[in-house]
Amino acid sequence: MATYDWIFDTLGLRGWCGGDGEGGGSAPMSMADLMAQSSGEAPETSLWDTPFPSMDALNDACASFPQSRELTRGLERGFLDIKDWLSYVLDPLTQPLSWALRNALDLFQTVPWWLMIPILGLIVLGISRSFKLMAFVVGSFALLAFIDYYDYAMQTLAIIFVCAVICVALGVPIGIAMSRSDRLQAGMIPVLDMLQTLPPFVYLIPLIFLFSVTEPKLYGIAIILYAIVPVIRLTNLGIRLVDKEVIEAADAFGMTKRQKLYGVQIPLALPNIMAGVNQTIMMSLAMVVIASLVSAPGLGVLVLRGIRNLELGVGLISGLGIVLLAVILDRSTKAALARVNAAQKH
Amino acid sequence: MTDPKISVRNLYKIFGEEPQAALAHAKAGMDKAQLLDEHRHVLGLRDINVDMASGEITVIMGLSGSGKSTLIRHLNRLIDPTDGQVIVDGEDIMSYSDSALRGLRRKKMSMVFQKFALLPHRTVLENAGTPMIVDGAKRAEWEKEATRWLDRVGLEGQGPQYPHQLSGGMQQRVGIARALTSNSDIMLMDEAFSALDPLIRTDMQDLLIELQRELQKTVVFITHDLDEALKLADHLVILKDGEVVQQGEPQHILMNPNDPYIVDFISDINRARVLRARTVMTEGTDDPGGLSGEVDENATLEDVIAKADGDTRLSFRVTRNGTPVGTLPMTDVVKALVPTAASEDGMRQAS
Repeated sequence: MATYDWIFDTLGLRGWCGGDGEGGGSAPMSMADLMAQSSGEAPETSLWDTPFPSMDALNDACASFPQSRELTRGLERGFLDIKDWLSYVLDPLTQPLSWALRNALDLFQTVPWWLMIPILGLIVLGISRSFKLMAFVVGSFALLAFIDYYDYAMQTLAIIFVCAVICVALGVPIGIAMSRSDRLQAGMIPVLDMLQTLPPFVYLIPLIFLFSVTEPKLYGIAIILYAIVPVIRLTNLGIRLVDKEVIEAADAFGMTKRQKLYGVQIPLALPNIMAGVNQTIMMSLAMVVIASLVSAPGLGVLVLRGIRNLELGVGLISGLGIVLLAVILDRSTKAALARVNAAQKH
Repeated sequence: MTDPKISVRNLYKIFGEEPQAALAHAKAGMDKAQLLDEHRHVLGLRDINVDMASGEITVIMGLSGSGKSTLIRHLNRLIDPTDGQVIVDGEDIMSYSDSALRGLRRKKMSMVFQKFALLPHRTVLENAGTPMIVDGAKRAEWEKEATRWLDRVGLEGQGPQYPHQLSGGMQQRVGIARALTSNSDIMLMDEAFSALDPLIRTDMQDLLIELQRELQKTVVFITHDLDEALKLADHLVILKDGEVVQQGEPQHILMNPNDPYIVDFISDINRARVLRARTVMTEGTDDPGGLSGEVDENATLEDVIAKADGDTRLSFRVTRNGTPVGTLPMTDVVKALVPTAASEDGMRQAS
């Protein structure tokens, strides 16, 4: 006899359970059942050992009650049932992502190093106005190229470039919409919290079901979902933090909503938005390493190789390469942020 | 009297979840504290009726929480009233559509803010040109207007600076230039000088008076400072707990306060500096003899005392633009300096 027989007996559900109240039936046996069966006696239960009325414990009492493994299995089955339909909808929608990633990867790798490194240096100079930073960036890429990690670094950079651009293009409008509607904000915050705290590996599982592993969008979507959160959050926050009196002044001089958005709110929220972009780039870099598990090329592949084959040197050097990339991206965006801040202190 | 430029009629504002339900209670006479206690609604303004004449400075005065900032925001509908009308140039602006309202804000009313509210990412020149930029004017046009008004308020050559590079007083000058650039008839000034230190505040008040003499705009000025109110006001409205306690010509209010609240308010001021000869004088053009000189009707009592060199036996003739309008014995001057008797049982002593 199981502990919770009485529940089903008092509720008059014994018939539904299929008779005598002994566990078993068609459902798979639990380990405890198996032990009990092999030792030939029912497990002894004192009050101290009373199990929580969990799904498994209730299944002991009533065979028709589902076991907890049915829950995960049900979820899995449910997902598999809608999978075809989902990928039918999502596949064409996300196709441009694959296209963009492939082209970016091509572009970053076909441009010769003697053109690419100076271009990157000039971009950094343009956004930071700092020769020191430019020298650091050029030196870092030269170093990576010298140890033959240039191609991998470019692949990683290409992926981050595409994903960060898409994150900003989607995240800023979402953030603006959130700042305008308290209801949307209340709805979005739990979603953003979940995206940010869900372990990154978990994103990959449903994506593997949905898309072919050879498609770049598989890792593209994973990176975007993970990295888009800060830019949304900080755009929303930045616009909400714009001085109320300045907004009032904008209204008092008869600005339209559009004039207010482009002329006042976005410019004044720019330091926060830029901070969000910086975070988004750093998070896509973190995710691009994990995404190498699902065929994302770049330095992450080398890290993975290091782990898989216990090649300490490869793992370490590629890890340091990622650190170097992170420092480059962080310093460049921070320098841009500092310039925006300096232009509009209050 | 000609039609007022702005006319506020039976204006009520109630903050809360269901203002309309609370409005009925407010109209039935429930007071602010009771409304908050029993219905969780805040009475912002109750039954406000004010006429603001064209070309005059109307000062709305009250302590914080009296509803003065709420009231001024009703004039350009930054806040919508719960009930009542705001009539500008004969039109009820409550009936305005969004675009008509924007037109009103762009062309007819401009506003100056307590904390300046300049756009930090735009230059001083662009800030001053904001009203015309918003209205879609060409660069050459708004640059010309903005430069002209910046020069007028004493900011020659500051155009390319950014607001944070200027001092507070200069920033507020930009605020005033911005309001003037819109070329509107009405200027709303929400505690415009309260954030400035006293010397600069006096400068700014003088600037406003000077501009007003030149431009004859309809100015609505909010302040919590009685000296400032008395200096600027043609028409003074005193608010307390969202209600008008007394309104009228400031000199008249000084001499005839009708509420202990106002008595209390005016008990601290330097009466010699704010009362004017015309307020105290005996009207009449006949010459009683023994007059020792002439004073202008707008001379303050302080000026008169200085002129008499403190001698209370003298009398003066009071003139308006050179023609005699009355006489002013020094004994009356001294009597007028004694605060109104009612101040003995003013609120401060009572509490």
